[in-house]
Amino acid sequence: MFDLRRKKHRNRRAQPSLSTSTGENSSLISRKHKPDYGLLLICIALLIIGMVVMYSISPGLAAAQGVSQHYYIGKQFIAIAAGLIAFAIFSAISLDFLKRSKRTLVWLSLIMIIAVQIFGEKVNGAYRWIQFGGFSFQVAELLKFALIVWLASFLVSRLVNKEINSNQKTLNPIMILLGLIAVLVAGMQSDFGSAGVMFAITIVMSFSAGLPIKRILMIGGIIAAISVIAVVSTPYRRDRLATFLNPTSDCQDAGYQSCQALIAVGSGGIFGLGLGNGVQAYGYLPEAENDSIFAILAEKFGFIGSTAIIALYAILFARMRRIIICTKDTFSRLFVIGVLAWLSTQTIINIGAMIGLLPLKGITLPLISYGGTSIVFIMAALGVVFHISKYTSFAPLRNVDISESEVNGEDSSGRRRQRRPYYATASGR
Amino acid sequence: MRPQKREISRISFSNLRFDIWYGLLIFVLATFVVRLFYIQVIEHQQYKEAALRGQLKEYEIPAERGVIEAHDGSSTVPIVLNEEVYTLFADPVYVKDIKGTAEKLAQITGGNPSEYESKMNAKTRYAVLAKKLGSDKKNEIENLDIKGVGLRTESVRVYPQGVLAAQILGFVNDEGQGTYGVEQFLDEKLKGKPGQLKAITDSRGVPLVSNQDNILKDPEPGQRIKLTIDIGMQKKAEEILGEHLKSVKSKSGSVIIMDPNTGAIKAMANLPTYNPSEFSKVEDASVFTNDAVSSPLEVGSTMKTLSVAAGLNEGVINANTTFYDPAKYEIDGATVRNVEEDGGPQTRSIADILRFSLNTGAIYVLKQLGGGEINEQARKTWYEYMHNRYLFGQKTGIEQGYEAEGVVPDPMEGFGRNIKYANSVFGQGFTVTPVQMAAAFSSTINGGKYMQPHLVEPADDENTNYLKKDGVVSKEVSDTLRSMHENSVDKRYPYVDQAGYRVGGKTGTAEVANPNGGYYEDRFNGTFVGYLGGDTPQYVIMIRVDEPNVPGYAGSAAAAPLFGKIAKMIVDNFSVPRAG
Repeated sequence: MFDLRRKKHRNRRAQPSLSTSTGENSSLISRKHKPDYGLLLICIALLIIGMVVMYSISPGLAAAQGVSQHYYIGKQFIAIAAGLIAFAIFSAISLDFLKRSKRTLVWLSLIMIIAVQIFGEKVNGAYRWIQFGGFSFQVAELLKFALIVWLASFLVSRLVNKEINSNQKTLNPIMILLGLIAVLVAGMQSDFGSAGVMFAITIVMSFSAGLPIKRILMIGGIIAAISVIAVVSTPYRRDRLATFLNPTSDCQDAGYQSCQALIAVGSGGIFGLGLGNGVQAYGYLPEAENDSIFAILAEKFGFIGSTAIIALYAILFARMRRIIICTKDTFSRLFVIGVLAWLSTQTIINIGAMIGLLPLKGITLPLISYGGTSIVFIMAALGVVFHISKYTSFAPLRNVDISESEVNGEDSSGRRRQRRPYYATASGR
Repeated sequence: MRPQKREISRISFSNLRFDIWYGLLIFVLATFVVRLFYIQVIEHQQYKEAALRGQLKEYEIPAERGVIEAHDGSSTVPIVLNEEVYTLFADPVYVKDIKGTAEKLAQITGGNPSEYESKMNAKTRYAVLAKKLGSDKKNEIENLDIKGVGLRTESVRVYPQGVLAAQILGFVNDEGQGTYGVEQFLDEKLKGKPGQLKAITDSRGVPLVSNQDNILKDPEPGQRIKLTIDIGMQKKAEEILGEHLKSVKSKSGSVIIMDPNTGAIKAMANLPTYNPSEFSKVEDASVFTNDAVSSPLEVGSTMKTLSVAAGLNEGVINANTTFYDPAKYEIDGATVRNVEEDGGPQTRSIADILRFSLNTGAIYVLKQLGGGEINEQARKTWYEYMHNRYLFGQKTGIEQGYEAEGVVPDPMEGFGRNIKYANSVFGQGFTVTPVQMAAAFSSTINGGKYMQPHLVEPADDENTNYLKKDGVVSKEVSDTLRSMHENSVDKRYPYVDQAGYRVGGKTGTAEVANPNGGYYEDRFNGTFVGYLGGDTPQYVIMIRVDEPNVPGYAGSAAAAPLFGKIAKMIVDNFSVPRAG
C-alpha cells in the first residue's frame, strides 16, 4: 500500500490490480502532487481558438458595427491576460482561504447587485453591466462564482450535521436562494440566461450532494413555474420560444438570429470554409463575436472543426469529472461539480441555440466567446479546480465519507489548519 | 476508526447521482454532434444555397449619364451636368438609441425627428430617412459616426443654366429614365451601359474583397452630347417670348429659330416652362411638353407660302400671273371668304396672295393645280406636296421625346374633301407642328432642300446627312418666293429696317378647333413664319402665340410683332452677314 502512494499520479490507470487487491474500504492517502496540467492546456487551447476566430472576423465586425478592427481583439487579449492571472492566483490560494472568503463573497455580491442598479449601464432596459475604465463588469459572472463557493460550503455543513434531509435546515434555504436568484438576476437584471445557469448549478450541486429526490423535484417545479412566468410576461422571450418551436416561420425578425446561425453552421459543410473565408460574420449573424461564435466556428471549420470543439469541451468536462471522483474532500468535490455544472450548462445552452435545438439565450460559450468578466471568473474557478487537482487520489473514490476534517475545514473560523493528508477510500470493482 | 466511519457513511454521498447527471451531459453533447452531422453534412447543400441567397448579390453599377452641352457663341458650355447626392438610411438592428439618433439626424437634414423615429421602429433593415442630401450634410452625418446609419451615393442631374431650355432638355425621373425632350429621345445614348457586379457581400451590400467568385464589369459612361442651340440666343428668345406673351395676354407660345441651310435649331423657346431640377414639384404635366414639337395646330395663313410655292413649282402660276379674285368661293356648299379689309372682287397678282393673305387666292392656286378646278388631280398634287415634299403628317426626326406627326387629310377619302382641301391651302382643317412648318418653309426659301430639323450636333465620328429631300421646289421658285416674301414684309411689317438685311415672312391667324366639333367663334392662334439674313436666309423664325387677347388679327397683331422682336434681337446680338 505504501508503495502505491508513491506511484506517479499519471500512472494511476496502469494499476488494474489496485482496487481488487486492496479490497473495498482500503484507505489511500492522496498527498499533494502535480496538478492536472491537461486541464490548463485545454483552457488555453479554448482561449486561443476564441482569440484566433475573433481575429479572423474582426474586419467584418468592424464594418458591421462601426468599431476599429482592433477593438475586440485588444479587449479580448486583455481579458485573456486577466483570466490567466486570475487562474494563477486562485490556483495558489488555499481552499481554507476560499472557504473563509465565503461571507466576503456574499457581501461583495450583494454590494454589486445594488451597485449595478445605481451605476450600471442600461442595455435593452436591464442593468447588467457596470462600466469602469473602458471595461464593463458583468455582475452575474461574480454571482455564479460566489454561488458555487457558498453552496458548496453550505451543503458540506449540512452533510456534516446530517441535516441534508431536513426541510428547515437545507431545503428552505435553497428555496430562498432560488427565489433570490429569480428576483435579483432574472427579475432586476432581466438576465434569464444567467439565472438559468445559476438554477442549473444549484440543482446539480444539491442533487449530487444527496438532497432527497422529492425535494429536487420540488425545486425543479418551482424553477419551471418561474420560467413559465418569465416567458409569458416578456414579449421577446415569447417570440424566441415561438421561433424555436417553429423556426422557419420568421426568418426576418424574431427568428433572424436563429436562421442566420443555422445558415452559418450548415454552410460550413464537412471541412468548413476556412479561417479567412466565412461570410456570416459580416453583419449577417448578430453577436458573431459573442453568443453566436460557435456558429462562426462551425462555418469556418465545418463538421470536423465543430466536433473537435465539442470534443475539447468533453475532454475538459471529463478531466473535471476525474478530479471530482478522485477527490475525497467534499467541499472540493462540490465546488468542482458546481464549476462543471456552470461550464457545461453554458456550453449546452449556447451551442444548442446555434444548432436549433434550444431557444436563443444570451449566454457566452465558456472561454471562447468575447467577454472579459466571463473569462476572468471562469478562469478563476478553474484555477481553484486546478488547485484541487493537486490533491486527488490516483483512483476514483466511490463513497466518500464526511470525516471530521471536513467539519474542521468547514468551520475553520480560525481554529486549526488542516495539515493532515486527505484520506480516501479506494473504490473496488 | 472503523466503527465511526460506518456510522457516518450513511450521510456520505455517492458518485452515482453525479454520474447520472454526467451521463446526461455526455448524452447531450453526443446529440449535438449528431445534430451537427445532420446540419453540416446531410443538409449542407440546402444551407449553402440559403447562405448564397443572402450573401451573393448582383448589382448594377450605374453608368455616369452623358453630359449635355450647348453653344455659347463660339465656345461650348455645359447645360446639364451630374452631381452626387446622398440617400440617408438606417439599419435599425444596429441603431442603439433610436430616439437620440433620429433627433441628431433630423437636426442636420432639417427633417422631422418623429418621422425618422417611426421609420426606424418599423421592422426593416433598410429604412430610408432622407434623400438628395448634399456633400456638406453627408460629411456632418459621417462625423456623427452613428452605428447603423449609412449614406448611399446617387447621381442626379443639375442644370447650371437653370430653367433655360427646360422642354428641350427634359429630365431624368426617379427611376433614372430620361423623360421628355433630349433626355428621352437620346436616353439610350446618354444612359451608357451599366456595369455589373456579382459579389458575395456583407449584410450592407459591400462586396467582400476576398472572394474569387466576384464578377465585375465596368460601366460604360453615357455619351456626351452637344446641342445645336446657342444659350445666349435661347435665353433672349425666352425672355422676349415671356414679355411678349404678357403684352398680348396669351398664356402660351413658342419660338423656333433655325438655320434653314442646315436644319440646326438655334433656339426653341416655349412658355410656360418649368424648373427641370424640381420636376417632381410640377403639378400640371403639360408644361413638360415641348409645344414646338409635340403640339400640332392649324397654322392658318402661313400655309399660303407653301401653297403658292407648290403652284409656282408646278408651273401653273408664275411671278407675273394675275387673276380675277371673286373674293368668295362656294365649295361643297360652304362659302370661303377673304377678310373684310381686303377690298372685294378685283384682279390680283400672285404676290398679293401673300401680301394680303387672300384665302381665295390660295384656292385659285389649288384650282390651277387641278387645271382650273378642285378635283382629284388638284387634291393629289397638293397632297403630294404636303406629304412627300413638306413632309407633313410624319415626324421630322428632331431629337425630342413625344414628337407629334400632325394629320394631313387623305385626298381620296371622306365627305367634303374638296372644301377640306380648299381649307388646307390656307392652313385650316389639318395640323402641323411648328417645327414641321419651320422645316418645310426653310425648304422653299433655301433653294429646295428639306433639311431635317435637329437639336443635337452630330458626334465627330458620326456621318449624319440631314438632307432629307432635295428639289422640294426649284431654285428659281425659291428665289421668286423670297422676293415675294421680302416684298410683303417690307410693305407691311418693317421691323428690321437696317440696311443690308433681308427679311421675309407670312402671318397666320387660325381659328381654334373646338374639340366638340367646328371652331370657336372668338379664339384664334397667331402664327408667323419668316426668315432673316443677308444675301441668303440665315435664320428661319417660326412664331406661335396661342389665343392672344388683342384687337385685330392674331397673326398680324400678336405673332408678327414677336417675329420682329426676335429678328431685331438676332441682328442686334449675333453677327448676321449683310447683303453684299
